[in-house]
Amino acid sequence: MNRKPYIRKQSPTWWVNKPFYRFYMLREASSVPVFLYGLFLLWGLLSLSQGEASFAAWMEMAGSPASSIFHVIVLAAALLHAYTWFQLTPKIVVLRLGKFRVPDQWVMAAHYLIFVIVSAVIIGSSIN
Amino acid sequence: MTTMTERNMKIRVTRYRPEQDDKPWDQEFEVPFNRDSSILEILGYIKDNLEPSLSYRWSCRMAICGSCGFMINGEPKLGCKTFIRDYVDAGEIHIASLDNFPIERDLVADISGFVEKLETIKPYIIREEEKPLEDGEYLQTPEELEKFKQFSQCINCGLCYAACPQFGRNPEFLGPAALALAFRYNQDGRDEGNQERMPFLNAEEGVWSCTFVGYCSEVCPKHVDPAAAINQGKLASNIDYGLNLVGLAGGKK
Amino acid sequence: MKQFQRSHEPIAWSLFGAGGMVVAFIIPALVLVSGLILPGMESSAVFGSLLGFAQGWIGKVFIFITISLTLYHTVHRIYHGLHDLHIKGNNTLMLVLFYGSATLLSILCFAWLLVI
Repeated sequence: MNRKPYIRKQSPTWWVNKPFYRFYMLREASSVPVFLYGLFLLWGLLSLSQGEASFAAWMEMAGSPASSIFHVIVLAAALLHAYTWFQLTPKIVVLRLGKFRVPDQWVMAAHYLIFVIVSAVIIGSSIN
Repeated sequence: MTTMTERNMKIRVTRYRPEQDDKPWDQEFEVPFNRDSSILEILGYIKDNLEPSLSYRWSCRMAICGSCGFMINGEPKLGCKTFIRDYVDAGEIHIASLDNFPIERDLVADISGFVEKLETIKPYIIREEEKPLEDGEYLQTPEELEKFKQFSQCINCGLCYAACPQFGRNPEFLGPAALALAFRYNQDGRDEGNQERMPFLNAEEGVWSCTFVGYCSEVCPKHVDPAAAINQGKLASNIDYGLNLVGLAGGKK
Repeated sequence: MKQFQRSHEPIAWSLFGAGGMVVAFIIPALVLVSGLILPGMESSAVFGSLLGFAQGWIGKVFIFITISLTLYHTVHRIYHGLHDLHIKGNNTLMLVLFYGSATLLSILCFAWLLVI
């Protein structure tokens, strides 16, 4: 038997030429701005714990133009995350109530509903 | 019977002959096609009229045997279910052996690893005690069937492995079809072999290599949705991990 | 037959999953708050309200869950993302770098919440 199978190894740029893969990498990349935002929040917490002056400095930084640009990027990333997350969660969380299997769309819709409610609560309570 | 005026399509086939070639190379053809022509049919035309040595697998030509999986313009598809008419705008069709598998010859992929994985995960009903024949058949309600039916539709075509970048990166990954099949049996009410299959799901090469790219489900010709099976498997594996921590999981640690 | 070892990924995945819910439900609104609403307000007033919120146990739990789970979720994705990009490194070092830093930062978050 003279076999000589040809093995093609995956290239590091395997994802570049296919829209489906590119979107997947974008989805994963959304974690980077959100990670930085986590650090930003932590920084805010530290400032809060250090007193009024320290917190005022953090607030001023938060209102700067650079911070605004940062916030736009983070918002886009977080919304992309939410959109893809709500799309995937129904595939993982399969709810059956007796004989009835809850349709994927209902699970997705419930997530969007909770998203709207939680967002409203957060924004609402901060406008005080 | 009228047919559309025959036109020609440019076909580029990635060839590989192990006894002559060191690496794959592309061969170009021009083939006539009409509104019904499938990839499989034009491959037949090439083999009959232009290049007798061209090798490829096929059988049922109706998307149930799973033999004719190829990369068609970079997408994993079944040759019998892909039509030339849809590539008129593209102007050219590139046909290659399924991605992520070694090329045996021309369009024939070495899928032995894939078959081994299917065999590994114990794809059969496991009972603690076999029911004697006189007791009759296992009865199942429609709801019990619904829990696994979709995952049982797999025709073992391998398109999902060609689609999966995690398998492409790491051939040790059990992969979409094998994991979906394992999950299919775990979800089958007649089966009592859950604990025998959990070690496969729980391993790094099991569900935990999956990052939910989801392309496997996108390309599946039978809409099995292996991505859903694997990720539901992650939930099951997660629960199993927790139960194992508190000593409540059956079977192996 | 090949031996399959149980992976410890479920620990990371649980945190990733919980964090994913936090990021999806809480972060977008928080971004609007910290980016749009707070900058328009008077700093000492904000300080007062926020401090009050953080001093209550509900506030402490909310802040801790939000920051800690956001960090664990994103760190998990970044770690696996590097694998997708074929960026290699000593695996133990990477684990410590990513999950370790998320843990360290969570501990700091906890500590700072205690003193508030």
